[in-house]
Amino acid sequence: MSEKSILVVDGEQNVRTMMTQALEPLGIPVQTAINGEDALKKMETTTYSVVFLDLKMPGMDGLKVLRHIQQERPGVRVVIVSAHGSVESVAEAMKLGAVDFLEKPFTPTEVRDLATQILEREVLETSQVIHFPDWATLMHEPVSDRSIACARDIVCRAVSTGPSRAEAYTLLASLFEVGFQRLEEMKQLPKVKPTEPFIEGEL
Amino acid sequence: MKKTGLYIVIVGCGRLGAHLANRLSSEGHSVVAIDLSESAFPGLSADFSGFRIEGDATQTAVLREAKVHKADVLIATTHDDNVNLMVAQVAKKIFNTPKVLARVFDPRRETAYAQLGIRTICPTSVAAGLFFDAISEDE
Repeated sequence: MSEKSILVVDGEQNVRTMMTQALEPLGIPVQTAINGEDALKKMETTTYSVVFLDLKMPGMDGLKVLRHIQQERPGVRVVIVSAHGSVESVAEAMKLGAVDFLEKPFTPTEVRDLATQILEREVLETSQVIHFPDWATLMHEPVSDRSIACARDIVCRAVSTGPSRAEAYTLLASLFEVGFQRLEEMKQLPKVKPTEPFIEGEL
Repeated sequence: MKKTGLYIVIVGCGRLGAHLANRLSSEGHSVVAIDLSESAFPGLSADFSGFRIEGDATQTAVLREAKVHKADVLIATTHDDNVNLMVAQVAKKIFNTPKVLARVFDPRRETAYAQLGIRTICPTSVAAGLFFDAISEDE
């Protein structure tokens, strides 16, 4: 596995400093980018395990950067860093594939815990997972990648290893709901009509 | 041993609040400074690496926004003793902040604060003590 590293993208020097200090004890290289353009440039040469991305930045905003990352480097885990009360933008970012979000102001422990959680999720491999807590950690990954079938599979395995744990059932129900919504959306699509009349025996 | 990496909320960003915020930030702590007016924040140095929140800290929503429930320390340094007492009490009783400190101008209130379990620092008492010490030294 490639060496882990973290990228902090924020327009404010104080936030970059604070996050770098907070992540220091993890012993993982942390780089910073002052804006979206700088971040994308850095990502051309380095593959980061986690990117902490501020939503509100001068020039290219966080959502635009996130779209770029999702298109160009879909494997990169992006955590959205947002100001208090920017619920709509955070929701949009989560829909676009951000794995989690962090609200300002944040404590050093919050930053470290979140980074650790995401990095651990990356390390877990399905073949090695036996216990419920590991399945529970693993099941968030396909959900954030919007890979519904894969998520369902993992959640089902989580249920079988920890049948008394309610959270897996809740997530499973949500996944089925998402699947149902997609089905409903597909039903709303215009039906394709043949442009030429069907002639019996032609096919 | 000096602790670093604490999450500290400072209410009131006047001369004392800003000074504390700058120093604690330079020592590697995460600091959130709250003040009623944005005009108080220029007191923070260019190296200050914390957050600023403009708002009334007597409102729990503002304290919640500052994540006082996750803070290791809260320091109330506004110019109003009553505000400091109220904020300190809310932090202590509602948000269970482990360490709460308040500035109190009136030395007569120190006892009342102490009875509520809030540690106070009274500039009047501190200055008076230093004056007494200086007089004794001269003798």
